[in-house]
Amino acid sequence: MPARTATAALAGLTLLLVGCYPVQPRAATPERPDVTTVSAEGTSVEDGGDLVMGLSADPDQLDPTTSSSLYTRYVMSSICEKLYDIDAEGELVPQLATALPELRDDGRTVRIPLRTGVEFADGTPFDAAAVRTSLERHLTKEDSARAAEMGPVKEVAMVDDRTVELRYDQPFGPITASLADRAGMIMSPTALEELGDDFGNAPVCVGPFRFVERVPATEIRVERDPRYYAADEVRLDSITYRIMTDANIRAANLRSGDVQVVDSVSPTSIESLLREPGIGLLQTGSLGYQGITFNVGNADGVGEPPGEVDSPLADDRRVRQAFELSLDRAALVNSVFDNWFQPACSPISPETSFATKASNACPPYDPERSLELLEEAGLETPVQLSMKVSNTPDTLRLAQAIQGSVAKGGFEIEIEPVEYTTLLDAQTRGDFQLLQLGWSGRIDPHGNMYSFLATGQSSNYSGYSDPTVDRLLKKAARQVGTAERAETYGEVVRLVHRDDPLIYLYRQRNLTAYSEDVVGVSTYADGVVRLSRAGFVEGDD
Amino acid sequence: MARYLLHRLWQSLVTLFLASVVVFVGVRALPGDPALALAGEEADPATLAAVRADLGLDQPLVVQYGAFVKNLFRGDLGTSIATGTPVTDLIATTLPVTLWLSLYALTVAVVIGIGAGVVAAVHRGRWPEWIANGFTLIGLSVPSFWLGILAILYLAVGLRWFPASGYVPVLEEPLRGLYYLTLPALVLGTALAAVIMRQTRSSMLETLSADYVRTARAKGMRERRVLSRFALRNSMIVVVTIIGLQLGGLVSGAVVTERIFGLPGFGKLTLDSVFTRDYPVIQAVVIITTLAYIVINLGIDVLYSLINPRIRVGGKA
Repeated sequence: MPARTATAALAGLTLLLVGCYPVQPRAATPERPDVTTVSAEGTSVEDGGDLVMGLSADPDQLDPTTSSSLYTRYVMSSICEKLYDIDAEGELVPQLATALPELRDDGRTVRIPLRTGVEFADGTPFDAAAVRTSLERHLTKEDSARAAEMGPVKEVAMVDDRTVELRYDQPFGPITASLADRAGMIMSPTALEELGDDFGNAPVCVGPFRFVERVPATEIRVERDPRYYAADEVRLDSITYRIMTDANIRAANLRSGDVQVVDSVSPTSIESLLREPGIGLLQTGSLGYQGITFNVGNADGVGEPPGEVDSPLADDRRVRQAFELSLDRAALVNSVFDNWFQPACSPISPETSFATKASNACPPYDPERSLELLEEAGLETPVQLSMKVSNTPDTLRLAQAIQGSVAKGGFEIEIEPVEYTTLLDAQTRGDFQLLQLGWSGRIDPHGNMYSFLATGQSSNYSGYSDPTVDRLLKKAARQVGTAERAETYGEVVRLVHRDDPLIYLYRQRNLTAYSEDVVGVSTYADGVVRLSRAGFVEGDD
Repeated sequence: MARYLLHRLWQSLVTLFLASVVVFVGVRALPGDPALALAGEEADPATLAAVRADLGLDQPLVVQYGAFVKNLFRGDLGTSIATGTPVTDLIATTLPVTLWLSLYALTVAVVIGIGAGVVAAVHRGRWPEWIANGFTLIGLSVPSFWLGILAILYLAVGLRWFPASGYVPVLEEPLRGLYYLTLPALVLGTALAAVIMRQTRSSMLETLSADYVRTARAKGMRERRVLSRFALRNSMIVVVTIIGLQLGGLVSGAVVTERIFGLPGFGKLTLDSVFTRDYPVIQAVVIITTLAYIVINLGIDVLYSLINPRIRVGGKA
């Protein structure tokens, strides 16, 4: 008996501790206009210098074909140019190509014109043959992480020395966006020949900087490449990417002047950082999202056909709708993240050209209706659920706020914080009822929707399956015009709101802090911090 | 002695074998697989499967273990799953950092600890002792992560006396190298300094009240000579033992300190490899740590018998 009392007391205490994060009503999110570049206007910029960036995670292999870490893109952005890039407005622009791809044969042939007079860092000339070698490596290398992103390519052909063609049986709309990411990074054929699988240990590409060395788990150094075709635009001698996984340590180093740029600033520490003189902030909306996944059919692991899941949420979409109706997104997101992040209701960022009225639609906050729906579904309230979340402080605060919000709508959720790797494992195996995680986002909606929502796809963690959604997603990938595709994706969002396998919750902002000693640092919607045109302000030391 | 050493060597091998089995099975029992930890949210099953096959993670456990041991005997510790770097390279770059840090911290601890201990014993009951005691209390009770954060906040960010992070190899640039290590070494050494101070103070007090010291004083020996000749020397036997016992603590404390100061040491490697489920690195780290403990213990036992012939190893010798 005493043991039971103790357990009850402990449970009560835990409830008290985790259950009391207040969701205070806050003013609506203030306008936070994107600041994408530290302007060099009005300052004279020094030639030379070593810029140190505090990187929040260690990149994986510096190999465009096999890399799967987000942070590899940061480092690669200074040493490995891509066929396409995005600009400050989030539009696709040519980089190593000279124009956007020319689509022929109803989009089944994608013709890419290339820059001339360009050399790789090892002196190898950049030409159509080099591009073909890289793209074919992406398609054929056994452990390639790019093959799926490039779609069902039938053939990579050289039209002439400065033109490459991708040939498909069916049009693949997302290809330009893929070529503005790692699939579009072109590797030196000479280096590939020499290094093979070890290319990532000494990558050679076309870029403003070239790889110098990597001290494992510590830092990666790159230096100015005199062969670069626009070498006169580059000011820095070198860049050191220093790995600092702890957000407080990154902030302390920025304050002390040991580093000049840091990524992934936590919203809760921005205010104090910005009070510091000489520190500025870059911010852009993210293409990704954070959300809550319901396990509706992930019984045998992701990628397998949907199975039976024993949960009140799985059987009845009304229960999931009720859950969404009881989420006060604005209050939740603003109170937890100090008004820095934006509530989100779909996988399509409202700032992209794929946003439509349908994709921007947001279910209202209506806890009364939620209770009604639960009653219709024949459930007794509170409905008990358990939610797995990552054990970081920010996520825990969010989870507690969610707990408080949905209580009014008739839900009682138990929070299960687990370490990140374990969370990924649970997500993959389907070992959860509710799970909170996000997606870093792609420029093209295909990359944010297809593998998450189509039946049996690689990231369909909820185990969702709907033939109409499958058909629409495939249709959108085959469509070529942005407007038509946006229309189709809008329809998918409408269906997702009906079925709620996944609730989109908020969109992070990419927050990058910098020392005002440097200019020319930029970060765009893809979240990659670009340092290749940065430089130190003259007169500062 | 030779027989004893042989026996200990055999024991060590058994210990190493057990440690390797435990860590091998243990890390694989953790939820989350390395391929997934590496791919993170971008997981793609085809890629994951290819990565797993490439690493031999799809083989039965016994086969994996066999390959691991076979490679171990060839001096091959495998390749890091996360970065593709040979594990031997990782260890070769991180181990010196931790060794220098520990050595520096030990020096700091010994200098401060013995100095403060002597002062406290000599000035018993007066203000120098209060200060020394206060220091001990702080050193023992403040956790090193907190002390580290304070040090960064005030000494690195506020006063800008020291860098907040970074590392320069000590052998390449000794002065700058030591400069970068100073703050972490102070933080790491503080707790040990407090232990040494307390020990020095109590054993000196004990010695100072011993009969032979009183005799020496009565015969007119100068106080300074009494302190150095008798008190300090005799207290050192205990202090050295304590330092030996604390060495292990120094290494584990380095894990925390390295993380705070972003030092690319063995401790940080250990932590990172656990978070990314980097099996080959975790295995190598555990094997090497086990080996180090075995060698240190064996060394201490042998040293004891050399220093003090009354302590015999192996029963009869």
